[in-house]
Amino acid sequence: MKPLPKVNIDDRIFTLKYYVDEEYVHLKIKNPKICKSCLEKPCLSFCPAGVYRLDRQGEITVGYQACVECGSCRVACPYLNIEWDYPRGGYGVAYKFG
Amino acid sequence: MSNSFRYDVVVVGGGPAGLSAAMTCARHGLSVILLERGRFAGAKNLFGGVVYTESVLSLAPDLFSEKRLPFERPVTEEGWWLLSEDGVVKITHTEKGLYEKPPRAYTAFRARFDPWLAQKAEEAGVLVIPKVKVLDLICANGKVSGVLVDRPRDWESSELAEVRAPVTIISEGVNRLLTQKAGLIPRDFTPEEVALSVKEVIQLPKGEVEKRFGLSEDEGLAVELLGEATLGFPGSGFLYTNTTSVSLGVGLFLSDFAEKGLKPYELLENLKKHPVMARLLSGGETLEYGAHLIPEWGLEGLPRLCGEGVMVVGDAAGLVNPLFREGTNLAIYSGIMAGKAAVFAHEKGDFGHETLKLYEEAFRESYIYRDLKYFRRLKKFLRENRSLFADYPEIINRVLHLYLSAQGRAKEEVFQEIFGLFRKRRGLTGLLRDFVKTFRFFKGW
Ligand SMILES: Cc1cc2nc3c(=O)[nH]c(=O)nc-3n(C[C@H](O)[C@H](O)[C@H](O)COP(=O)(O)OP(=O)(O)OC[C@H]3O[C@@H](n4cnc5c(N)ncnc54)[C@H](O)[C@@H]3O)c2cc1C
Ligand code: SF4
Ligand code: SF4
Repeated sequence: MKPLPKVNIDDRIFTLKYYVDEEYVHLKIKNPKICKSCLEKPCLSFCPAGVYRLDRQGEITVGYQACVECGSCRVACPYLNIEWDYPRGGYGVAYKFG
Repeated sequence: MSNSFRYDVVVVGGGPAGLSAAMTCARHGLSVILLERGRFAGAKNLFGGVVYTESVLSLAPDLFSEKRLPFERPVTEEGWWLLSEDGVVKITHTEKGLYEKPPRAYTAFRARFDPWLAQKAEEAGVLVIPKVKVLDLICANGKVSGVLVDRPRDWESSELAEVRAPVTIISEGVNRLLTQKAGLIPRDFTPEEVALSVKEVIQLPKGEVEKRFGLSEDEGLAVELLGEATLGFPGSGFLYTNTTSVSLGVGLFLSDFAEKGLKPYELLENLKKHPVMARLLSGGETLEYGAHLIPEWGLEGLPRLCGEGVMVVGDAAGLVNPLFREGTNLAIYSGIMAGKAAVFAHEKGDFGHETLKLYEEAFRESYIYRDLKYFRRLKKFLRENRSLFADYPEIINRVLHLYLSAQGRAKEEVFQEIFGLFRKRRGLTGLLRDFVKTFRFFKGW
């Protein structure tokens, strides 16, 4: 498959309006050990908002603030290792166009 | 508990499905509350998108007396663009009928269309409450009697509020969590059963939408993009013209994104960089990016549409037809049907499955159900016939290129090259098989 052009997802996220809920983290990794043994780590690619990233230690970090609440990671993590919820009412992404 | 938390009907989710259901109930005199987790109805919603006028008229017959329509452009030209790596074959259609009033379809934005619909619902008497997330259903003995929300009951207590109603209508969209809690579907969907789409709204310099797409001010183009748009994977892209911008997007089965390690926004960037698209979009500025799932579980994944005191409508039930860009209209029609069943139940004073199944019966007689049955093999067909996405757009581009640049060559050779191309890419039996399979699929066999 041909390589796709690189995109800095932060440039895309930048166009979105969010009301971040600082008091409630709506996405969590259930068990970090499972992520360590997860070889493919598909969440790094399929998440359309780049919420899942690797830190320097190679651990998955969850930038829930950028989530567009599509629901993909709820079912596409092969180990169902993500505790998924919507943000609280009124919080999260708010489209201007949609 | 205080009276104010009791209604005739509670509706969960302020998309087109929920708003239509709520409006139908309120217009028949029922007290209706609609709970929406977004800051306003539409804040969480994203689509392509093309709205079919007839469905909107069925809710708002006086649509055309509005000062400002909740749409972008009427659709006057539509079809497909088959993209090769650097070319395109455009198959689009327009005719006089598409210019007649009222237009058949419009392009639109959900964050503008849904609030407009919500206002209509309020005018009909629906109490629309945004910024409230429904956490759970209130269930006893398999009977649903309302919902639990993420708001305290009153200022003094931290106890969560309950909203009670003999009929609960679930219009929560594709992530059908409450539908599962209601026991209407036994399991979650899989990544094979949904498409993940990403979209950008790209603003073009003034007057450029008209110039680049050959449109006048009250004309619009809506095309699906096949082939290179999805790198040959089953799925499609779309390009819809808005007043001063275009909506450009692409979607694949979620499982393909996950298995192939594809980043959706890079797939979209690849589309934007396609030589043909890049010219059309040059100087454009991305106003907004976004992503959403499309339910494609079809007939197989269809939940039971009603239970005791509860019904499910729209995307939560999976009522979309991706081949025909239908979703918003099906959400509206299902909402109206469920609304009517709720009204009937209140007339009868019985809210059991036996009464609410009026909705299920109406649904089974509608074209929505007929189509779900007709296209029941869609996912399988798309997966098993990848060449429709991977080979044919490329072949058709090559063939037209060879034919149109045949001047100065012996035409016999040109035709031999063309036939050779088909033979090489699909083989003669392959061609025949593709044809038969496609024919059978569209015959509904
Ligand atoms: C990329 C894309 C392109 C599309 N293109 C088209 C097109 O061109 N034409 C077309 O007709 N259709 C199109 N569709 C399909 C169409 O958008 C949907 O079928 C339609 O929006 C379904 O409406 P709905 O009301 O069922 O769900 P939604 O519009 O998803 O509404 C669900 C609502 O429920 C709310 N909600 C969810 N859970 C809760 C909760 N727990 N508490 C409170 N509120 C909650 C959500 O915030 C949301 O407002 C497209 C879809 C996508 C993703
Ligand atoms: S896909 Fe799931 S298990 Fe694998 S790294 Fe991501 S969150 Fe962890
Ligand atoms: S819900 Fe969608 S946007 Fe949010 S983290 Fe999951 S995959 Fe990413």
